[in-house]
Amino acid sequence: MKAAWTTVSSVSVVALVASMTAALAEPPADLIEAAKKEGQLTTIALPHDWCGYGALIDSFKAKYGIAVNELNPDAGSGDEVEAIRANKGNTGPQAPDVIDVGLSFGPLAKAEGLLQPYKVSTWATIPDAAKDADGYWYGDYYGVLAFEVNTDIVKTVPKDWSDLLADDLANSVALAGDPRASNQAIQAVYAAGLAAGATDPADIGAKGLAFFADLNKAGNFVPVIGKAASIAQGSTPIVVRWDYNALADRDTLAGNPPVEVVVPETGVVAGVYVQAISAFAPHPNAAKLWMEHLYSDEGQLGWLKGYCHPIRFLDLVKNGKVPQEMLDKLPPAAAYDKAVFPSVEQQKAAAAVITKQWDTVVGANVQ
Amino acid sequence: MKQSTFGPWLAMIIGGLYFLVPLLATFEFSLRMKRGEYSFEAYRVVFADPGFQASFSYSVALALATIVLGVLLVVPTAYWIHLKLPKLKPLVEFVTLLPLVIPAIVIVFGYLRMYNSSSILPLTNSARGTDLLLAFGYVTLALPYMYRAVDTGLRAIDVRTLTEAAESLGAGWPTVLFRVIFPNVRVAILSGAFVTFAIVMGEFTFASLLNRPAFGPYLQLIGANRAYEPAALAIIAFLVTWACMGLMQVIGQGARMVSRKR
Amino acid sequence: MAATADALPQRQAAMRRVGTTAFALVGVAPFFLFALFFLILPTMFLIVGAFKNPAGDWTLGNLANLFQPTIISAYWISIQVSAASAILGGLIGFFLAYAAVSGGLPAWIRPTLLTFSGVASNFAGIPLAFAFLATLGRMGLVTVFLNEAFGFNLYRTGFNLLSFWGLTLTYLYFQIPLMVLILTPAIDGLKREWREASQILGATSVQYWRYIALPVLWPSMLGTTLLLFANAFGAVATAYALTGSSMNIVTILLYAQVRGDVLHDPHLGYALAVGMILITGVSNGTYIWLRSRGERWLR
Repeated sequence: MKAAWTTVSSVSVVALVASMTAALAEPPADLIEAAKKEGQLTTIALPHDWCGYGALIDSFKAKYGIAVNELNPDAGSGDEVEAIRANKGNTGPQAPDVIDVGLSFGPLAKAEGLLQPYKVSTWATIPDAAKDADGYWYGDYYGVLAFEVNTDIVKTVPKDWSDLLADDLANSVALAGDPRASNQAIQAVYAAGLAAGATDPADIGAKGLAFFADLNKAGNFVPVIGKAASIAQGSTPIVVRWDYNALADRDTLAGNPPVEVVVPETGVVAGVYVQAISAFAPHPNAAKLWMEHLYSDEGQLGWLKGYCHPIRFLDLVKNGKVPQEMLDKLPPAAAYDKAVFPSVEQQKAAAAVITKQWDTVVGANVQ
Repeated sequence: MKQSTFGPWLAMIIGGLYFLVPLLATFEFSLRMKRGEYSFEAYRVVFADPGFQASFSYSVALALATIVLGVLLVVPTAYWIHLKLPKLKPLVEFVTLLPLVIPAIVIVFGYLRMYNSSSILPLTNSARGTDLLLAFGYVTLALPYMYRAVDTGLRAIDVRTLTEAAESLGAGWPTVLFRVIFPNVRVAILSGAFVTFAIVMGEFTFASLLNRPAFGPYLQLIGANRAYEPAALAIIAFLVTWACMGLMQVIGQGARMVSRKR
Repeated sequence: MAATADALPQRQAAMRRVGTTAFALVGVAPFFLFALFFLILPTMFLIVGAFKNPAGDWTLGNLANLFQPTIISAYWISIQVSAASAILGGLIGFFLAYAAVSGGLPAWIRPTLLTFSGVASNFAGIPLAFAFLATLGRMGLVTVFLNEAFGFNLYRTGFNLLSFWGLTLTYLYFQIPLMVLILTPAIDGLKREWREASQILGATSVQYWRYIALPVLWPSMLGTTLLLFANAFGAVATAYALTGSSMNIVTILLYAQVRGDVLHDPHLGYALAVGMILITGVSNGTYIWLRSRGERWLR
């Protein structure tokens, strides 16, 4: 009798553990229920070619049958936070439920009371440095800054920051944003400063500015904001931008023109983006379900497909969940070993220097 | 004494070159989608996209609504100011210049705060309500151009005499306005209508933040990641907008011909 | 007794005047109500925001912050670019409009020019910047053509599209059509009979222009040039797309504060906008003063 009981109990314990693990892989049923009742999710600033969001949104719609209302895909992090602020009393479709913003915006939005906390079921596998302890914001993916080079026009592909100063690269190098306002552009200046050997954030900013001033004096810098169209047309044959955007561009352009994506040898800066749910979200349950979707293995691999390193990357690799073909399509892992992840304070200190002094140090003289 | 047309022709040719060459450059780039050959591939991709037709027709409908609202608002006001309240002219002109310097993004944020679902006039709650808000926003954006055009047109005709003549013939003010003043400022109204149409077709900020499926946000979406399609789209938008204006011109002229025959 | 008898019709006349004015004000009520609800009140959030700091207290600090060298230079550059493109655009637009209306050209030119101007007047922002980069940029159509056909390297002469004059050249693309569109009705109003009469009386072309045509057109031309100035002053998308990070103009600065990823002090952005409104107010005032001086010729 006792033996039978032990067998039954051990079997049931195993069954319980199995069902718990299964539960970990699936969001709770009542959350799905509540989200379906809300019927809609409003997102903002999610271009379909950015980190494979197009496919992720489609898979969410297909899996749960919830409509996704996509606001302004071209919005910057500042726009997203402003959208939450501006729609405080508004439950209409203009109010975003979830945001995907630069690292420094997480604490900023939390301090203003614009976010609500939520810890996804895979919370434990998110590195501590990339999430808020109370669950208000949590890192979603990262990438490093790389050079996107149009090899039709640029014959010797630059391998490092110092190569950008070469004589044959006149009117070639551009940033992907305005360094007085855009996170991506400021990080590029930061990376140049790191490559120049600085260690203190303010000094990194100053050295980065000096580099771009040299680049401008050599006539190599183009002040136009680089995009796929300007790379193809030839006005900005080299653009410094996140590697996932560069790789996505390479795919879109499909060889016309051929594009090479180079992670510089020194000065490799990684940028983390964070997810958060709006405190005034009209569809909070749909928002939470969306987070569960993004942080599930399926969601994380969806980002990887878009060339973004998901925040749970190391955990997934450890558990052997990443298909080899996906790994092959990414830049070599060696490049990522040298990646520096600036903290929020470091970013702020450098940004203060860069944004204030860009015009005086680098800005072209206006005649 | 016949005037030499050399000067005018020269002006036209130089003007033509300045305006057409950049368009040509854009067109040439849009043909380069297939490597090594010229093709209309980019155009095929654009036309095949259902989002293009939907957003374009939405913006056209909204543009027409904006023109009607704008004309109904501006022409009587300008007429009234000319006739009865010339002292208010500087104030009205200053107000009409404001939409040019107040960034659209500020105005629309104001709309979101004033007309959201928790205010007295919850326009953003319904699609039609938001459409109306968007139309009013566009009327505001087009105000400087519409007012200036109508004002210039009114200056060119003798408003006082026309009004007095009409009134002495027994016309009430609606008749004066719609059957005497409007036809005489037809060219000016048409100019203002053209600019309004172009503004609405290309406008992005209002449509995007109010979340309406207009052409501007669609253009932005395509332009974000693609290389050749935005150029194709720019050319298509230019040509179709031009055609719509040509249509408006024909309708405007046609009505004038009819009224002349009487 | 005589005093009261006189006073009564005077008072009646005064009351009638007030009555007419009050009635007249009703006529412009829709406009002012519209402007109030859809322009002025939404903007009040901005005006009020210019006087508050992020913590929510009233402050004049934002306005004081406007007096930094970078911001003053931004305003100054904006004014210069706007004035350059407004004056040039005004002049060229005037010539084009006149050529089309009274130049004796074939009849199809005028409607074509007008409809084209309608489209071109709003062809701004990224498509325009891209079009000019594709034409006069380093790999632009014209640049490459000049190099290959005539061996003429445009960029070696020091020309650069991404500069003050390059930006002005680009701005002209929507300034000139605007001038054409708005001035055409006025030029239409120049009756042919006036020109013929002046010729019969022996006036030369110059005299016709100086004493008849220009005085009539002057207020409209000035008013439209002011519109062009405000139009260029408020333009941001084109400048941003073309000169991106090299030029420091107010609108870009404003957008960086209100929308930017990093700077994000919207209250400073609002203060910048208040500054822009003030400048527009001043230019409007100048226009009215100039116009009233010019209108003396009409009487």
